[in-house]
Amino acid sequence: MQKILATIAKELLLLIRDRAGLLVLFVMPAILVVVITLVQENVLALSGQRPTEILLLDQDGGIFAATLRAALEAGQLKIAADSPKQPGDFQKLIEGGRYQAGIRIPAGISQRLQNAMAARLAGGQSSPPPSNPASLTVLFDPAAMAGFRAGILARLQMAARAAEMQMMADGLGRSLEAKAGGPAPGQPGTENSLVTAFSHSFTTITEQPAASSTATIEDVINPVNQNVPAWALFGMFFTAIPIAGTILAERRSGIAIRLAGMPVSPLQLLAGKIAAYLCVCLSQFLLIVLIGISLFPHLGLPSFTLPANPMALLPLLCACCLAACSFGTFLGSACSSYEQASTLGSTMVVIAAALGGVMVPVYAMPQLMQKISIISPLNWGVNAFLDLLVRGKDFSSIVHDLARLLAFSALMVILSWKRSPG
Amino acid sequence: MRNNAGQSEIAAPAILTAGLAKKYRLAVRPTLTDFDLTLAKGEFFGLLGPNGAGKTTILSILCGLRRPDGGRVRILGMDWAKQRRLIQTQIGIVPQEIALYDQLTARENLMVFGRLLGLGGGKLKEQTAKCLDIAQLSERADHRVCSFSGGMKRRLNLVIGLLNDPLILFLDEPTVGIDTQSRHLIHQELQRLHSQGTTLLYTTHYMEEAQELCSRVAVLDEGRILQEGAPGQLLQESACRNLEELFLGLTGKQIRDV
Repeated sequence: MQKILATIAKELLLLIRDRAGLLVLFVMPAILVVVITLVQENVLALSGQRPTEILLLDQDGGIFAATLRAALEAGQLKIAADSPKQPGDFQKLIEGGRYQAGIRIPAGISQRLQNAMAARLAGGQSSPPPSNPASLTVLFDPAAMAGFRAGILARLQMAARAAEMQMMADGLGRSLEAKAGGPAPGQPGTENSLVTAFSHSFTTITEQPAASSTATIEDVINPVNQNVPAWALFGMFFTAIPIAGTILAERRSGIAIRLAGMPVSPLQLLAGKIAAYLCVCLSQFLLIVLIGISLFPHLGLPSFTLPANPMALLPLLCACCLAACSFGTFLGSACSSYEQASTLGSTMVVIAAALGGVMVPVYAMPQLMQKISIISPLNWGVNAFLDLLVRGKDFSSIVHDLARLLAFSALMVILSWKRSPG
Repeated sequence: MRNNAGQSEIAAPAILTAGLAKKYRLAVRPTLTDFDLTLAKGEFFGLLGPNGAGKTTILSILCGLRRPDGGRVRILGMDWAKQRRLIQTQIGIVPQEIALYDQLTARENLMVFGRLLGLGGGKLKEQTAKCLDIAQLSERADHRVCSFSGGMKRRLNLVIGLLNDPLILFLDEPTVGIDTQSRHLIHQELQRLHSQGTTLLYTTHYMEEAQELCSRVAVLDEGRILQEGAPGQLLQESACRNLEELFLGLTGKQIRDV
């Protein structure tokens, strides 16, 4: 233990003395998070998303549900084949992040719409609007971006309107058939009443987050809560490069030879190095969280909000830091020069971040990339952070991601250890 | 540290190798073939050879940094594979490179390596002060190494190898590129260690240095010992005026670029 502590103290001392290194380690990720969050805030508000697969919970089973389904598919919203029949399963699939949106068609909506339309057609302009409009509910994954939500809502509104018009046309056809010879001017079914009836919307759409909490969509879907952990994780993985640098500097200067000749195991040396940089990564995250809480509101962004149980973040944070630091030790032991480690390291981190959903949400990627994204440690980290911070889940939901991060760290340490001199 | 060696190792030679073989993956020829060497305790042994002769490979194997492909190595009667940690407490290594943390002070460097050697508390402070004194760096103890001259760095590089009072000290060209005063100080210290019974294995390209310091030298080329003995005895037998003449006679004048 004394030897590990000696290594930690040495690494921290070297870091404190390296002001340029500290600047890179702390200031750069902080700037990155602020800039990216500011940029994404506007871009996401303006951009749409590509067509995607959504869930449909049909509790109605009537004419409106069937017409809406057809209209949604015509509007490039693909209904998932495994759409559940039970509301609980429906919520779980979205809350779990497997689907980003789901539409619930309530029971009896077709009948209510038909009644409302018939009343409207019969009453013409004088008929009052329905006091209790039929309501569709859209559940969103709290991690879904604003542009995505806007796109789904717009397409649903169009599909619902098309379905209503289809039903109205059918109703009108039946009405005309029943009244052979047609209606008299000013009576139900005249040109004016038809215009009024067709221009009225009978359904409303309610947006809801598929989160365990009772918070509103605005409370839960907070771009800062999505960006801060994702970009902090990205910055954290860049710590791998200075770690690799220290290993390569020790090898280049002959210190590695001296250390290999001392009664200290390579694992102890690696543990000391990882522990020292773990403190750095934790401090980095803390700094970014503080910026998210205290600076973002002054920049016109929402404030970063911690989960109800912030301590649940700690094991996840430690696992992410461990993965980043152990990747650094592997990089240092696998590369033969700092230039190589720096190029390879930064490229690998950027690729892992892109695959991991840091830059573009995984659900917005092509199917093949979504499948590949599972190999990125940043994906595990981002997903677990979103589960805790955005989806409002508890610790048990991130256990598998945590296990993957720890397994990755163990693999990196073993590979580094095998390549250590001595 | 010196008292840690077991009783069974007392009578054993300091270093014993038999049939050592080593070939690097991309090398055309083996670096070592059937290499035997025995060093008695307290010897000051100089390993001389042109570039690529195999000196660093031998030193690396003896220090436990590389594994030989064949043969056996005993350090103070102990086997690297079985008693690695114990051997490491009994040896000191002075690498050819300036193996120091540039951004730490001389004292901090000594403290870091001392702790990794298992020293602590009063013993660590005592050894640090002693080493600073030997290197004549007490007044600059709290200055960062990056501000030191080449000679100061070399002296510090040497004394870090002495922190645990090693029974065997491995030195890989410890006086490369330094001023005369620093070289003189290092020579004095090595002679003091020799007189106190420390076994020294030393590689150098400076023949006059080997002739002055070593009790025995071996001229090595292509992984084999060409000639071995006390410098005086070798000069007498070969009728050469100095070791350099003997060395060039044995290894040739052709430039060796590795």
